[in-house]
Amino acid sequence: MSEGPLIEIRGMRKWFPIKQGMMSSVRSYVRAVDGVDLEINRGETLGVVGESGCGKTTLGRVLMGLIPITEGSVIYSGSDIREIPNKEIRRKMQIVFQDPGGSMNPRISVRSIVGEPLQVNGICEGVELTRKVEELLESVGLKAEHMTRYPHEFSGGQKQRIALARALSLDPEFILLDEPTSALDVSVQAQVLNLLEKIQKERGLTFVFISHDLAVVRHISDRIAVMYLGKVVELADSDEIYRNPLHAYTKALISAIPSPDPDARSDQPPVEGDVPSPVDPPPGCAFGHRLHHPDWEKSTKMDLSLREVSPGHWVQPCPCCTDENDESRDAPHEQVADGNASEDVPDWARGE
Amino acid sequence: MRLHEFVVRRVLLLIPVMIGVAVFTFAVAQIIPGDPAALQCGDKCGLIVGYDDDGKPITAHQANRERLRLDDPVSLQFERYITDLINGDWGESQKNGRPVIDIIKTSAPVTLEMAFFSLMIAYPLGIFLGIISAVRQDRMFDHVSRFFAIAFVSLPIFWFAMLLQLYFATGPQVGGICDPIFGTEGGCFPIFDRHDQSYTYPLDGYHSLYPESGTGFHLIDSWFVTDAKLAELPSEFDTNRELFMDTLIHLVLPCSALGIASSGSLLRYMRASLLEVLHEDYVRTARAKGLSEFRVVVVHACRNAMVPIVTILGFSIGGAIGGAVLTESVFGIHGMGTVAVLGILQLEYQIVMGVTLLTSVIFLLSNLIVDIAYAIVDPRVRLE
Amino acid sequence: MRDWEEGRKDREESQKRLLESLSMSISNLGRGWKIYRRSLLAMLGLLMVLSVSMVAIFADEIAVQHPYRNLTDTEDKWSNNPDQQESPPFSEECSLREQKITTNPSSPLFSETVVAESVNKVSGSIAYGYYTDVLSITEIIKIENDRGYDQDISLITIDPDNSSLFVLSPDLYGNSSHYTGVWVTYLYENEDMSHWWLPEGYDTCIFGTNKEGHDVFSKVVYGARVSLTIGITVATLTVTIGTIVGSISGYYGGRIDEVIMRICDVFFAIPGLILAMAFVAAMRSVSSLTFPVWLGILLPVLMLAYFLNSHLSTTVLSGDERVSDQAMGMLMGNRSLLVGLLAFLFFVGWLPAFAWPDFFGVSHSRGWRLISSLVVIVLLVGIILADRRFVQKNSLDGALTRIGSSFDWTNPWRYLNFRTVVVFLSMAILFKLSGNEGPEIVLIKDFDKLWQVQFALIFTGWPGYARLIRGQVLYVKEMAFVEAAKSVGAPPSRIMFRHILPNAWAPLLVAFTLDIGGTILSASGLSFLGLGAAPYTAEWGLMISESRVAFQRAPHMMLYPGLAIAVTVLGFNLLGDGIRDVVDPKNRR
Repeated sequence: MSEGPLIEIRGMRKWFPIKQGMMSSVRSYVRAVDGVDLEINRGETLGVVGESGCGKTTLGRVLMGLIPITEGSVIYSGSDIREIPNKEIRRKMQIVFQDPGGSMNPRISVRSIVGEPLQVNGICEGVELTRKVEELLESVGLKAEHMTRYPHEFSGGQKQRIALARALSLDPEFILLDEPTSALDVSVQAQVLNLLEKIQKERGLTFVFISHDLAVVRHISDRIAVMYLGKVVELADSDEIYRNPLHAYTKALISAIPSPDPDARSDQPPVEGDVPSPVDPPPGCAFGHRLHHPDWEKSTKMDLSLREVSPGHWVQPCPCCTDENDESRDAPHEQVADGNASEDVPDWARGE
Repeated sequence: MRLHEFVVRRVLLLIPVMIGVAVFTFAVAQIIPGDPAALQCGDKCGLIVGYDDDGKPITAHQANRERLRLDDPVSLQFERYITDLINGDWGESQKNGRPVIDIIKTSAPVTLEMAFFSLMIAYPLGIFLGIISAVRQDRMFDHVSRFFAIAFVSLPIFWFAMLLQLYFATGPQVGGICDPIFGTEGGCFPIFDRHDQSYTYPLDGYHSLYPESGTGFHLIDSWFVTDAKLAELPSEFDTNRELFMDTLIHLVLPCSALGIASSGSLLRYMRASLLEVLHEDYVRTARAKGLSEFRVVVVHACRNAMVPIVTILGFSIGGAIGGAVLTESVFGIHGMGTVAVLGILQLEYQIVMGVTLLTSVIFLLSNLIVDIAYAIVDPRVRLE
Repeated sequence: MRDWEEGRKDREESQKRLLESLSMSISNLGRGWKIYRRSLLAMLGLLMVLSVSMVAIFADEIAVQHPYRNLTDTEDKWSNNPDQQESPPFSEECSLREQKITTNPSSPLFSETVVAESVNKVSGSIAYGYYTDVLSITEIIKIENDRGYDQDISLITIDPDNSSLFVLSPDLYGNSSHYTGVWVTYLYENEDMSHWWLPEGYDTCIFGTNKEGHDVFSKVVYGARVSLTIGITVATLTVTIGTIVGSISGYYGGRIDEVIMRICDVFFAIPGLILAMAFVAAMRSVSSLTFPVWLGILLPVLMLAYFLNSHLSTTVLSGDERVSDQAMGMLMGNRSLLVGLLAFLFFVGWLPAFAWPDFFGVSHSRGWRLISSLVVIVLLVGIILADRRFVQKNSLDGALTRIGSSFDWTNPWRYLNFRTVVVFLSMAILFKLSGNEGPEIVLIKDFDKLWQVQFALIFTGWPGYARLIRGQVLYVKEMAFVEAAKSVGAPPSRIMFRHILPNAWAPLLVAFTLDIGGTILSASGLSFLGLGAAPYTAEWGLMISESRVAFQRAPHMMLYPGLAIAVTVLGFNLLGDGIRDVVDPKNRR
């Protein structure tokens, strides 16, 4: 197997067209994901955070190849996922959905739910299938006799375990966890998170963990990408991002985490206004626009692709929201942006 | 979306449907068996009416085919059919050559009149009973009225109409219930037709009843009939008021049959809709404010519960036209339904096409009007 | 191949699963029944539907008069009974008979004692000819000579030993004034129209007779058969067509959806009854429903190919591409063009003798047709396999063993699924149709007026279901479990049949039940207008229509058929409402 990242997202865009009437040919688009570059390394957990509507779920779906990409590409261990046969992707990449109840057909038993991937891919049937499902259920902390029951007989946490067992059934390399804990109670959340960590260690899986809850993401992730309005605004190790957030939006997110200490008031003023509509996003730094930042005008004229401020810490270099006060912001910026662009293209890609 | 945009869009959406209906009627006319040319000349089809350039004889049948241009390719015929439709030429009856548009002009108002009055009966009745049923949910009245609602939906309307004739109509052997209740003798409502018998079969031959320039709606025409015309008419009515009353009273039985039968489904809709609204928070708030139950139900709940009822008005009109076909047949009224049935039985496909087309136009237009009215009242609809 | 003993474990496993799902559905049914029986009206509806169905099934036992059946069509023919016309229920008129007695001693028909006989009756089929019953006389009412003058009643007496014999007095046949004969009017024991289950005195002619002298009760009873047949046939076929069209429309969406929905709009734009009338008019000239053999064979062949395809897609696994396959991949890359061209030539008939319609016409032997179908299936499968191998770049390694394992008979239970049933059904149809003589397959030999009504109602009804199912499919399609199934690579057919439709059928069941009632109403309406059943059929709407000339004088002729329609439709409506309560998620605990 080749070294380097397992998955590489390059310039991913996903625009959903909005139809306005039968006759009108003029369309507008919802820019759910608007230019995202990410690398996901083998064996790591990448957390993706952002408020609802920022495009993180769409990012996940496109990444999985469940919905077609508008622009850019997703490279899975060296080849574009559009080139890989569907069956193969499904065996290597799996997903756990947000709503554990909704992601299971209420009319089929747990055995069929967990065994469905094995059945449709023609891997095993009959006794073999039952044995395999038994194993899977036990590996996620459920009992074999749960097999004959139906989804509505389980609690939220149990359902999420079943969903995890289904995702594991094809023995994938990569699992996308789309807000797997947001529908659960806090106590159950912890159990599920621990289970996820355990399974990752055992099987050497790669996770992308999507959530709106920064605290949860910090707990499980190695690195965290913060998304705002279809773009990644900051990307760093989870501790680094917590200790040293650079983008104003990240700061706002962190300050929004409730603290157990009533005296430890955040000095950050609460963010006002709503997320702007992705149909007609403001130019430049979207968050600066929302804050009515005086420097926002400047950001519209700049290249806002991420740049590395310290090793492994990438941030959107915008004048209004990013705090890194290096004096050379204006002059060397172009240079840095250029460097970025060249760095974005990996060696093997350049060679072709 | 602004209102006028919504209206334009709704109208534009109608166009493909109208074209579809035209294609459908044309296709049906193509499939209907029987040769219209042969139908027109009857037993004289073999008659030689002329000679062509080569001196071969042309029979009446061939001449008819030529005149109706039945030997053209289907696409050409369809094209001609559409242009004719737009120009107001809907073909003609093959038996007597009367233009279809004329036949429809006299029959459509009759059906519309009936449909309108039956809805005037159905809506108040259904809504009123529905409100009571919802307010007294799960009590005796509710159970009884729900049973009757579903029973009225299940009744064959023609049978119900005949029962009304049996128990309420005038006549030597009918009108059984009417006499003891209303104190009349020999029934209380006319059993048959749209107006007094003496008009339909006047002694001195066939009469055009109403002014030539009349609307075709018998009620309107009888109200505005001129004195001169009235004097010509072979009847004992002296004033147009009497004539109007006679025309109106002829509507009672057919419209009751149609109206009562369709009030059942309205009751069910109204009850369901009001029950839903009664569980809403604002109704609870209104109750908490200490408003009287009457005010809560009538002012706060009903107004909102009525909205979905109004939207089904368009569909009720379609249903009423369908029901009118059967009721007309029972009461011997010459509306569109009777015309269509006769058209089918006599293989007059032009008439069948015309009636189908017109009913669909009426149905689509009424739905359009209801939708636009709804969009004015409730702006959310425009967003779809 | 494994031997029987090796498959034991698999067998036990499958058996266990089957029993589990069986007990699950039984417990579901039980829960539904618990909700259902809470409603009194729903129970009443069930009772009505059950009793009407019972009446329809046991019509031959319950009815006292029977139609003779023309076995080539579906219509019942009722013989004329001139004696008992328009007699009201329970009246004596039902047992009144007028019989001619020959009084001319020189006539060969003359006899001093005359047997009281019924009019000619027809047994089961007209082919068996006519018969008459011997009647038992209770009272002689009057005697008329053939000029219509009343005669003395004492001229004819009843034989005291045998109540079915008239004894003529010598005065009668000696008198030349009634030279040829007399008409005797008498009452008789109407055994024929009496019901054993009713008390004495109320057991005869309970619904009266109609204009033709038919027992209204018997006609109403047989009418239940006609109406239920129409209702169930039409509702079933409409649901089938509507479900297929609606699920295609909802699942694939886009252009197809747009087109189908516009067609539905056209159907909705015309009021139902008028539309049905137009269809009846259009079908006037259809006298039998046939379709060509090649079409009949094409359908099961395509069905088999489709299911083989979906079977292959689960057995053929993905694998690495080999370089040597590049060229083949290039070739197959344009396969849609190639296959499209072939199909065009094949079906439009531009390849003489190889065009599809001719292909099966070459020989009428079953063997030829079966072998050529097999060849076509193998060709289609070959194309599919090549597509998998060279275009989708899947490996075929082990595919043969996997296909072989699906013929593993050591576990027969696994064949109890939808796919196998369809495959077997298609094969049976293929076998049946291939033995057909001649180029046409007759589906309905006598496409009579009842069939015309049924088809008119089917054509009118399917758009409603299509729209309903489309809405349901669109709703279920957005649910997370469908996406989950897609994300594990389930094929569309599996998603449709296993995930979407089982969660979408509940409103369909309600609509189906309500539609049986609605169909019965519409069919009787059409018959009432004279566009439905042929004259004298035992169809309720037609019976009401036929009663119109005299309904004021004899209302019983219209009351009972109308009540029968009302009860049947009401039963189905109440049943549908009850089922709605059961499937309503609000009532699920």
